[in-house]
Order: sequence, then C-alpha cells, then structure tokens
Amino acid sequence: MTCPRCQAEEKELRTEYQGKEDGKVIWTVYNCQRCAFTWRDSEPAESIDYEVREEWFRVDPDSPDLYPHNIPPAKSKKP
Amino acid sequence: MSKSISLSAEAKAVAKRIHCLRDYLELLSEHGQFIKWPEAVMPEPDIRKIAVASSRDSMTAPAIMFDNIRGYPGKKMVLGVHGSFTNIALLLGYPKGTTIKELFYELIGRWGSDKPLLEWVKPDQAPVNENRLESDINLYDLLPLYRVNDYDGGFYIAKANVVSRDPLEPDNFGKQNVGIYRIQVQGPDRFSLLSVPSHDMAHMIRTAEENDLPLKIAVMLGNHPAMAMFAATPVNYDESEYAYASQMMGSPIELTTSGNGLDIQAGAEMVIEAELINNERIFEGPFGEFPGSYSGVRHVPLFKVTAVSHRNDPIFENIYIGRGWTEHDTLIGLNTCAPIYSQLKESFPEVVAVNALYQHGLTGIISVKNRYAGFAKSVALRALSTPHGLMYLKNIIMVDDFVDPFDLNQVMWALSVRTRASDITVLPNMPLVLIDPAAEVPGKGHRLIIDATGFMPPDKVGSDSKLVTPPAGNEIDDLAKYVSQLQREAEIK
Repeated sequence: MTCPRCQAEEKELRTEYQGKEDGKVIWTVYNCQRCAFTWRDSEPAESIDYEVREEWFRVDPDSPDLYPHNIPPAKSKKP
Repeated sequence: MSKSISLSAEAKAVAKRIHCLRDYLELLSEHGQFIKWPEAVMPEPDIRKIAVASSRDSMTAPAIMFDNIRGYPGKKMVLGVHGSFTNIALLLGYPKGTTIKELFYELIGRWGSDKPLLEWVKPDQAPVNENRLESDINLYDLLPLYRVNDYDGGFYIAKANVVSRDPLEPDNFGKQNVGIYRIQVQGPDRFSLLSVPSHDMAHMIRTAEENDLPLKIAVMLGNHPAMAMFAATPVNYDESEYAYASQMMGSPIELTTSGNGLDIQAGAEMVIEAELINNERIFEGPFGEFPGSYSGVRHVPLFKVTAVSHRNDPIFENIYIGRGWTEHDTLIGLNTCAPIYSQLKESFPEVVAVNALYQHGLTGIISVKNRYAGFAKSVALRALSTPHGLMYLKNIIMVDDFVDPFDLNQVMWALSVRTRASDITVLPNMPLVLIDPAAEVPGKGHRLIIDATGFMPPDKVGSDSKLVTPPAGNEIDDLAKYVSQLQREAEIK
C-alpha cells in the first residue's frame, strides 16, 4: 500500500482508526505522514486510487516550496 | 443610546424557546423540516450524495440526521440545519412559505441593535460539560468524520465556531473572537485551521508566534443556530460575536467557561480545546470551497487538542459546501445582503433592496429608485466601496425599485428589456477575493456593472414605450399566498 496522493511508502502511513460492525473491521482510516492526506479504504476509487485520481490533485512533499504559506511562521522571519 | 429590536409575538416565542441546536431541531421537526435518514449509510460517498440532492431545494430542504453510519455505531451527525430559507424563516419566527425578500427586511429590522443579551452558566451546570476527556483523545472516536467532497485533502469539520482571545490581552472579552474556520483533522488529536490572513484568527496566530505566547482556542460544534448564522458575519475586532448574535436573535446566548479559560456556549454539543503549536505548519487542503472550486494545498498552522467536553449522546453538526446551491449559501446569504444594504442606504436612500446571495456576494443585484439617467451606475460604484464590496461584488446588476431583486424572473425581465450593451461597465484590474477561479491572478480581476434600470431624462431611449403596471403590494402578496394555500388544500382533498 502507498499513499493515494503522493505515493509515499507504507512505512510513512499511519493507521488512524478502524470502523467496526459486530466486532468486525469494515474500514480503516490512514494518514500519510509525508503529504498529510487522510483517507478511508472503503472510499470510491476517484478519491483513493492513485491511478484513477486526477493528476491535478497530486502532491509532491519533496517540493514544499510549490505550496504557498497561509500564514508564514514567525520563526522563519528571524535570521 | 442603545437600540433593541422589536420582535413579533411569533419571533419572541421562538427566541424564548431556543437555547441550543437540539431546541432548534425540535422546532424544525414540528414543521416537517427535520428528517432522520431511514437507512444505513457509508461515510463516503453516501453522505455527500444525500447532501447534494437535498441542497437542490434552497427554499424548503429539511435538516437531515444520520444515526446509522456504518463503522460509527451510535454516533449522530446532522446536515442542512440552515440549508433552506424555510429553516431560516422558522428561526426568525416566520411561517413556511415566507419569501426571501420578507426575510431580508426582517433581518434589516434587526440590524444595528446594540443590546447584548448574555447569560452565564456555571461550568458544572453546563450541558456541554456532561462528559470530559483530558487524555487518550481520538477525534475519530468522538465524531463520525468523513470526506465532504471527493478530492478534499482529508476529513473536515466545516461548521465549527472557533473561540480565541488576543494572546496579548487574554482578559479582554471584547477582543475575544468567534469565527467559522475550516478545520482539517490531521491525526487523532491534531488539526489544522485555515484563516484568511486578514481575519482576526490570523492576527492572533501571528501575535502568539511573534511573542512566544500560547494561543488557546475552543472549537465549538453543534451550536446555537443564531451563532452558526452570525459568527460568519464580519464584526469589528473589538466587538463580540456572542453579543451580536444575541442581539440579532433577541434572546440570550448562554455562556460558560471552557477548561482552557475561554467563553463557550453552555449548550454546545461538543467543545474541543486546543493550543497552537507555534511555528509548526502542515499541508492542508484541497477543500471544495463556496465558489464551487477547490482551493489548493497550502502550509497551514497546526493545533494540538488538549481536552474535549461534550453532551451526552453528542450530535456532530456539519455542512455540505461546494458548487452551489449548498447550505453554505443559505447560511450566510442574508447576512451578506444586510450590511451592504445598510451601508449603501446611508449614502443613497433610493436603494430598496440588495440581493447578494450568490457565492458570498460575488454577484449582487441591487434595486434602486432611479433619479436621472446613469444614477444607478453611481450607486453601483458606491456599493463597490462598502467593506464587503471591496473584495466581493464582482458582478453588480442594477434594477429598478419595482423589481424584486430576489425574484430572478423579474431580474431577467429587466436584463431582457432594460439593458443596452452600452449600459455595461467593466472596471479592469480590481481587487478580487483570492479563491475566485475567474481572477486574472489570485486577488486581482475585473468588475462588471450591468445597469438594467429604466431610461430617465435626458436619455431619450425607450421614450416611445410605456410600461405595463401590474397591480402590486401587500394585497397581491396576500393573494399569492392564498393561491398557494388553496392549492395545498386541493392536494389534501
């Protein structure tokens, strides 16, 4: 399993929660520690399958400068 | 001198009985405006599909409660609480069938009241404190979280009221801010919060980080319906949204103190206490926003949850937002119209009504009594300089005083027979709200004024035609309602 958004490897993925029905797991929520994507493995393919998802929505965590800051951290302003 | 509002007997009765979300759901239920979804649903895509289908009916859509969400046994979630003008009408003490224009004038009548009605409840008597967690917090255990739109970056809490205080003046009640900010859950006990850089919350985040001070916040879920409506209305930095909402509602908002020292609604369904992790940022987004498009991925401030208080059997109130019409449009629509109208009316008493319901006022329709040729264009230019007009009001349509700007059939009549191509004004390279996808570059684009008012001297165009003047006024409004009533009765028979 890799991240549906940035293809980070399995070791970068954290299991957040498991939904159960009659004691049986019916879905699991994961979070990618690299690009912060969160998903449930029961979702439709357009949300959670890297190949099916529109390319526009991919995220490259190795190029953080591609993404603007909402409020730049104050610490980075200091030398 | 303070001004308090005068309410009808019906409005007083509603104001008196509503203290929290549960009271409002009960009121909606009595009028057939609340349903429980009868089947089991998957968190995705079922909730999204039902929300979109329900949003089609902006006049009478009900609030929808889900209490059988697969994988979240026993948890409750409600959508569409402010999802129709009928729901808003009931909150303001009006019956089903009330027109948007009537609601607009009711809100205008309540506008400008400055008599806050706040009541304080001891923390140990506040319903929100029936349960409290201070360790091992997992938001997924507490809330049936789900993805709102299919390409959102995660699961969002999209209808929370967030309370915060200026980190430099933590004892100043007036500088306590309550706002609606989108919250992306970033882990069992962490979330990111996005604030427009010019908003109060962003100011507080910068202040905390620049001065190495803690910023404590309280995220309130399942709120008093007036708070949900009015916390999104911009008030000045030193004015309290609690005071404002209670004034508009004409009844007290009950407050108590949160575990981290903030003033919270005593009857909220849940309050998540959290603290800013100074200078830390995390990828946030995309999120399907009100223009009907996704805002992109950004680096956004991160918060750590420190405690959670909640009522017994809490209800997670959320909102569907995306390409309109959605609950978001109904929730903020009238509150967008009212301040533009009030500010415009001060300069031009000829202004009759303002309809800025569309995408938070990206398009506005203003009806005005024309004084001479071109007058309406001057009024439109004044509208652009109102606080909301500065960034929004991208397209303005000016119509005559006898055209109801909330009745789009009438507006289309004006566009069809009162507009010349030369009555269109384009103002290039003006400021524009950042997330408008039609911007030339984010934050800058063109404005459009369409003058669809009639021809006045010295304009000679149209002087050879004479308008039909159909009967109008209260008598015709009442007759229209009578027709509807007869029709309903015919259906019952």
